[in-house]
Amino acid sequence: MSSFTPTRKNRRALIWDKAATGSFYALGAAVLLFIFWLLYTILSKGLPGINLQFLTKLPEEIDVGGGIGPVLFNSFYILILSLIISIPIGLGAGIYMAEYAPKNKFTEGLRICVETLSSVPSIVFGMLGLAIFAEYFDIGLTILGGAVSLAFLNLPTLARVTEEAVRAVPIELRNASYALGTTKFQTIRTVILPVSLHAIVTGICLVAGRAFGESAVIILTAGLSTSGEMWDFNLFSPGETLAVHLWYVHSEAIVEDAKQIADKSAAVLVFVVLFLNLLFRVPLWFNNRKLKK
Amino acid sequence: MSTPVHDLPAQKGTLLQTPVQQSSRWKRGRGSRVRFTNGLFKYYFLFSILALCLVLALVIFFIGKTAILTFKDISLAQFFLSFDWTPEEGKFGAASFIVNTISLTALTLLFAVPISIGMAILIAEIAPKWLKSFIRPILDLLVGIPSVVYGYLGLTVLIPIIRTLSGENLGDGLLAASLVLTIMILPTVSRISDDAISAVPKKYREAAYALGSTRLQVIMKVVLPAAARGIAAAIILGMTRAIGETMAVVMVIGNTAQLATSLFSPTSVLTSNIVMQISNVEFDSTWNYALHMMAFLLLVISFGLIMIIRLISRKRGDVA
Amino acid sequence: MKLFKKISLVAVAAAFVLSSAGVGSSVQAAGSVSGKITINGSTALLPLSLQAAKEFQRLNPKVKIAASGKGSVTGPQAVKKGIAQIGACDWDASTDVPGFKAFAGQVANKVAVIPFATVVNKSVSVDNLTTDQLKGIYSGKITNWKEVGGSDADIVVITRAFGSGTRVNYQAKALGGGDIVKKAKNYKEVGSSGDMKTAVSTTPNAIGYIDLVYVSGGDLKAVKHNGVAATVDNVIKGTYKIWSYGYYMTKGQPTGATKAFIDYVQSKKFQEGSLKKLKFIPISAMK
Repeated sequence: MSSFTPTRKNRRALIWDKAATGSFYALGAAVLLFIFWLLYTILSKGLPGINLQFLTKLPEEIDVGGGIGPVLFNSFYILILSLIISIPIGLGAGIYMAEYAPKNKFTEGLRICVETLSSVPSIVFGMLGLAIFAEYFDIGLTILGGAVSLAFLNLPTLARVTEEAVRAVPIELRNASYALGTTKFQTIRTVILPVSLHAIVTGICLVAGRAFGESAVIILTAGLSTSGEMWDFNLFSPGETLAVHLWYVHSEAIVEDAKQIADKSAAVLVFVVLFLNLLFRVPLWFNNRKLKK
Repeated sequence: MSTPVHDLPAQKGTLLQTPVQQSSRWKRGRGSRVRFTNGLFKYYFLFSILALCLVLALVIFFIGKTAILTFKDISLAQFFLSFDWTPEEGKFGAASFIVNTISLTALTLLFAVPISIGMAILIAEIAPKWLKSFIRPILDLLVGIPSVVYGYLGLTVLIPIIRTLSGENLGDGLLAASLVLTIMILPTVSRISDDAISAVPKKYREAAYALGSTRLQVIMKVVLPAAARGIAAAIILGMTRAIGETMAVVMVIGNTAQLATSLFSPTSVLTSNIVMQISNVEFDSTWNYALHMMAFLLLVISFGLIMIIRLISRKRGDVA
Repeated sequence: MKLFKKISLVAVAAAFVLSSAGVGSSVQAAGSVSGKITINGSTALLPLSLQAAKEFQRLNPKVKIAASGKGSVTGPQAVKKGIAQIGACDWDASTDVPGFKAFAGQVANKVAVIPFATVVNKSVSVDNLTTDQLKGIYSGKITNWKEVGGSDADIVVITRAFGSGTRVNYQAKALGGGDIVKKAKNYKEVGSSGDMKTAVSTTPNAIGYIDLVYVSGGDLKAVKHNGVAATVDNVIKGTYKIWSYGYYMTKGQPTGATKAFIDYVQSKKFQEGSLKKLKFIPISAMK
């Protein structure tokens, strides 16, 4: 090693390397600073005014001091329903594409389907949901319609992320598992899914975060009103969510403290997404620790 | 690099029959149950992907059946080649929206791809562990900020800045829209590329380092080509989200049906025009049909862009 | 056990049939009404609909009301398609208006009076505009504030999308049916009243129009129209002309829960109470 004398080319490579590392860090710092500024702008305006009352009270049209109780509840309710619908199908589709799909034209077609579906603008899913639920089934604007339409929106992303995650599982693990005489499904269940779980959960977090903030779909399918009571589990109630309420307050509300309500709602939304991330990830961290021991 | 991973499932179908059949030595119940679930889930997975395609088929059917009516009243040539969109006077030329949509998407990718991939490399290859586990959740947070908030911040913070810097009166336009979109797709692209880069087997890197490569060389010549598939997927996902995003774009693009002659002229893209007008037109009017046709066109355009990116990434993959 | 289940099922079904039959045969006394009402349409009337729905459901717990909004014309269209019982609309959709044909077979129920105002950014020194000046500005013939007595600066025109109820009324009453320019360098369309307020407030030299209710805060101001200030009093006196009725469109004459709801909205209690607090003008105030 000591006899190694760097050539000019070596030296240039090293300088480039240093410079690149530096600029990657600079880029990272700039992006992080920007994100912090963004979060600060949103949270600092909203968070200080939030109290339990705001989170549980009913929205008001006339009087100052309305809350977001039912819309916050609806947000979670619709999000969970849509995830219940989309996760099994999304994961299933992703696993099929990664593990089962033969390499042929048909599979190519399926993949293009998934990608095209992910480019469908959310408002189109809203129009589709409206046509299916309000026109065809004639049940009006409901939580059910909102949840299903939102699930449509989630599906392609979930499938895509699952496929990538499953593909990333090293081939040695599969071979080892098959060598033990397991069936394909046993291998998927006991080897592939646990190994790729981390990436899949990242995907679910991304999807859940986006779904939580989605408004165009919900306005068309679940409406802009609530049933006016807390804890309404009825699938056929109108289901305004927090993101929709935020849109409404920004766009049309005439109550005097509309601006504060909008700021506070935005802060709550961001906060909830942070919370969701934690909720999904903390168990994973513990899991990772266990694996390492 | 895609070959080894890819080929396995194909062989598998034949391979796995053998061990399962031999298992008749097992207790009969367990053996058949295992075989049954194995078969069942294969069909379940197939069913899932077909369900996804069914949703797409529903979308195409629903949009298409209205869209096709457009051409009862106006000619294909007028719709695709005319730049004049004045529905009140029966002029339905969508060409300017098409061009604008493509320029907006290109501009957005121009900003977003280098930044996102840079972030992905930083997270996956360069940053120490504590920094990784710090940046990742923060990037994810960006996804959860509702588009209305992005639009509002764009309108109240970004546009005044653009207005002072450019000396324009309005500031709305392609630049503002693409900057907002860049921030919106940044987390999607960088997190999925990050996953793809992290999934590159360690031995590739070790082999490259053993040859005396610097980190930059390893990243550029080994890791990125090996992760090209995943990165292409990330870019596609980001791009499709950019094409389909509406609520935020509408607030900063100006919504004027004209071809964007500069980065700062108020203009309109397919999505923003659909959103602005779809709720204000009569159901059975040519105008409504034309808007549906534009939604359909959006599908076609993103389909085309997806094909192009796939082609590029496949060529790259072969070289690597 | 099974038998018991069956009996209770029949009982529930019978009760359901009876109650829905009750809705069918024109209902009357508050508290006994039940049914499901979907309101769609104008976003300008949405605060009113939401407030009325809240109060009405408190009095009639058996009625379920879902409200949503997208644009005025969505209202009568949703009614026509049968996906809503009430279509909120900023104009009388049972007659022709510029750009929209009449919806046959629908009844327009007046529920409120909505005043509109011309607004400008605080940087604009002009405080009165005539119909002709407005026409010139919106048709693109007047492009500089100095042509209407202001300082030397380009006029930035902000308008609502075609088909917006606010735009239909403003065009008819403030511009005398005049044209609104579609393509220009300093021209922008926004999608909602809130966006209009934000855009005019943050864009120097901007002009726009908006429901009078939203005119508040220091960054935008309402200008006089032909010398008359945009105030509720002037609307009632009949000197300020830019206003319109807000309508609930129904398929034929309203019946059942829908009728009870519209009756409630038109009742003196609601008109003089909540509706006034929402800064709409009661319909009875107009001659």
